[in-house]
Amino acid sequence: MLEKSTDIHDKFWEIFSKQDRQKIDEFKSYMDKFAVNFNLYKDGNFIEQSLPFDVIPRIISKKEFEKIEKGLIQRVTALNLFLEDLYTDAKIVKDGVIPQEFIDSASGYLKEFVGFSPSKKIRAHINGIDLVKDSKNDEWVILEDNLRVPSGASYPLSIRDTYRKIYPDFFENFKIEPIKNYPQMIADAMNYVNTGGINVVLTPGRFNSAYYEHSYLAQKSGAYLVRPHELVVIDKKVYFKNYNGKRILVGAIYRRLDDEFIDPKAFNAESLIGVPGLIESYLAGNVALMNAVGNGVADDKGIYYFVPKMIEYYLGEEPILQNAPTYLPYFEKDMEYVMANMEKLVIKDVAEAGGYGVLFGHSMSALQIEDLKMMVKANPRRFIAQELIEFYDEKCYINNELVNRKADFRAYVVVGEDVKVWNCGLTRYALDEGNYLVNSSQGGGFKDTWVMEL
Amino acid sequence: MGQLLTANVATSMYWLGRYLERIEETLHEINKAYDKIIDVDKDAGVKIYKKFHIDLEYTNAIDFLEKAIRGDHSANLIDILKNARENAIISREYIDELAFGEIIELNEVAQRISKSTEKIDYKDIDYALSLISEIWGAQTKRGHRKVGDYFLKLGKLVEEVDFRLRFGRNQAMTDVVLEEINTIFKLFNPELEIKISENEDIMDSIYKQMDKLIVN
Repeated sequence: MLEKSTDIHDKFWEIFSKQDRQKIDEFKSYMDKFAVNFNLYKDGNFIEQSLPFDVIPRIISKKEFEKIEKGLIQRVTALNLFLEDLYTDAKIVKDGVIPQEFIDSASGYLKEFVGFSPSKKIRAHINGIDLVKDSKNDEWVILEDNLRVPSGASYPLSIRDTYRKIYPDFFENFKIEPIKNYPQMIADAMNYVNTGGINVVLTPGRFNSAYYEHSYLAQKSGAYLVRPHELVVIDKKVYFKNYNGKRILVGAIYRRLDDEFIDPKAFNAESLIGVPGLIESYLAGNVALMNAVGNGVADDKGIYYFVPKMIEYYLGEEPILQNAPTYLPYFEKDMEYVMANMEKLVIKDVAEAGGYGVLFGHSMSALQIEDLKMMVKANPRRFIAQELIEFYDEKCYINNELVNRKADFRAYVVVGEDVKVWNCGLTRYALDEGNYLVNSSQGGGFKDTWVMEL
Repeated sequence: MGQLLTANVATSMYWLGRYLERIEETLHEINKAYDKIIDVDKDAGVKIYKKFHIDLEYTNAIDFLEKAIRGDHSANLIDILKNARENAIISREYIDELAFGEIIELNEVAQRISKSTEKIDYKDIDYALSLISEIWGAQTKRGHRKVGDYFLKLGKLVEEVDFRLRFGRNQAMTDVVLEEINTIFKLFNPELEIKISENEDIMDSIYKQMDKLIVN
């Protein structure tokens, strides 16, 4: 189902109909030429592939986006307060808002970091919050919070640059919010938490799936792109190794490595990547890490259930943006509901990400449902269940025809001195009609998002 | 030269310069040999590839293009271009955006040629050469020269010296290029200099200075 048409949508199609469709090919050649790609490993082989993209943008009215913005600022503020509280006083647990068991069993919770407060007490600096627009009530609903190393912002930035070159008419005729400030938002956040020294973007390396993005964001934010072995820790201080052997003090690291790979001395001793001693430096307050270590607890799918409660607990406010209706089989009442309604629910394995471990009850056989029920009963904390949100389709121009595809929206919220929401985001659409999985790793594509006055 | 650079990026910029120059020089030599093979000197291609320590066998001018570009040997241009692309991706933060795009396109041309079953056309060579000219043009147009640019330039000059020595080109001109290399070395570190002596190979002398310049 598509959102209802507005004057702007009509005007968009009017301009689009007058454009040279042949120029659409220019998008692909431009994106290929500038290697806007997504790397993956398939059957043990390294494959570089262009991320599929669509030229029809998602259009969000400025007024509608303002509500999203307020809701996201509220949510990310609460999530930061939660993380800081959890790793210091843990009042939210002591007050019984979140059961201790949920914290202890969250894979991203790192007990050994209890008692440590990072620079400026900010933990979730760069956040990717996934939303969809429910076609039943026209409301935006939060599906997931990504507070560790959310990726994808460079793709809309790249496609917007291309769009402006190839189809300037739209930007001359509409008041589309500019989006080039995203790298500056990151730079500002890095500068704010910087403990003294240069800013760096830490990449696992050339063969990481998002290497293009690491390189792009480093260049545009003025930070230096480094691989783990290009940093060295001496006396609990982190240094950048310059080509001539000189060492330059590092004050902030926008890391694109997961916690378990960041420092082999602190986490996985077997890991060949990571910066030995980095965590010691971090705990001594000598370097800022963006995002903080241990954030995984807050984007655990089980903890997601409690985010509206966090908003009420820390801010004394009603959540502006709602979660998708979620059930925790851990609670007896919810378990009963899940068992009785599994065929209409979406069941998610909390340990999985990237669209993996998501099961749609409506597409499972009776036997599969029974198997799943047994698994949920045996390990209730491992799963959450959600009502299936019938979110809007977006029009996509694929193989020279307009087709409908399910699309979500990842909004980026950056926390430095202030909490800021980027005037754009990553709209991801599913590969096939009717498919609800939009992740890049599931073959989904992306499109630009225009926030504009309607 | 107020810019930091990891050893990895410095090395990649240097090698990118070398590979691009190597491709350009090789294509020029192939062009010259191709012309001679037609009706002047059938062995012109053999002589060139001897300089690379490769025994190249071909039947005519078109076959020479085929063997020179797609042949299974260490001077295979398709592989050299792949290497150039890898180095460009690693150091893309420091490369002019347009130049980067042209390097990717150059590699696309090479990949298309490598997969094509059709005979190689001299027009492909001209197109590849024009892309390389655009890469150098885009790179040199940058107003403010940064430290990465010097590594790229250094790679280009070192490769030029290598070719001049292999092909026994005019010594006075080679000295001019060496002087240019020394100027860049001194910008980095006043103690670095290629000193020409009878006992030492020029390329070995350059590599010794490079080892002092980039500390891994």
